[in-house]
Amino acid sequence: MLKEYDGKIRLVFKHYPYRYRDFSYLAAQAAEAAGAQGKFWPMHDLMIERKALDRQSLLGYARDLDLDVSRFTADLDSGKHLHRVEKDVQLARELDIYQTPTFVINGRLLVGFRTLDNLRKVIDEELAGK
Amino acid sequence: MNWKRVSLLLILLLSFSLSAGWAAQERLSVPIGDSPVLGPAEAPVTIIEFMDFQ
Repeated sequence: MLKEYDGKIRLVFKHYPYRYRDFSYLAAQAAEAAGAQGKFWPMHDLMIERKALDRQSLLGYARDLDLDVSRFTADLDSGKHLHRVEKDVQLARELDIYQTPTFVINGRLLVGFRTLDNLRKVIDEELAGK
Repeated sequence: MNWKRVSLLLILLLSFSLSAGWAAQERLSVPIGDSPVLGPAEAPVTIIEFMDFQ
């Protein structure tokens, strides 16, 4: 969809892991650990595509993305990026956001799962208003 | 018909619909900070996604 709206959309990612799922926090930290090596979005895409999010799978993704795996592993195991993740969670709560995914499109709040058509409608309205 | 009562009702209705209108127009301001970003900073549309990978 970003390609479809070439250059007209800026996408910003905020973590909102659910505390009581097994791998939510681990996956969020893995994305940040990959981000520390300049590969946040490739890791983001890989986790969504392959779905498995246990530690062993995440280390496998790091290898597949040619990351420095020992650095990635150390980051993950030490919780180095946990603070960044929790900062986003804190922000979501301050904004009274309690569901994922939630989209904020030019300040307009869309809570919960949306079809691409739902998102397109809001994006098109915003583009028309400019 | 008690006109005082009717006008009071009208005022109440009017103020309620006005405030509802304001609420609909309200936009959230979300700081981007150093979060991961795709796309140009000057893009006319900014989508902030709060997401759980699992």
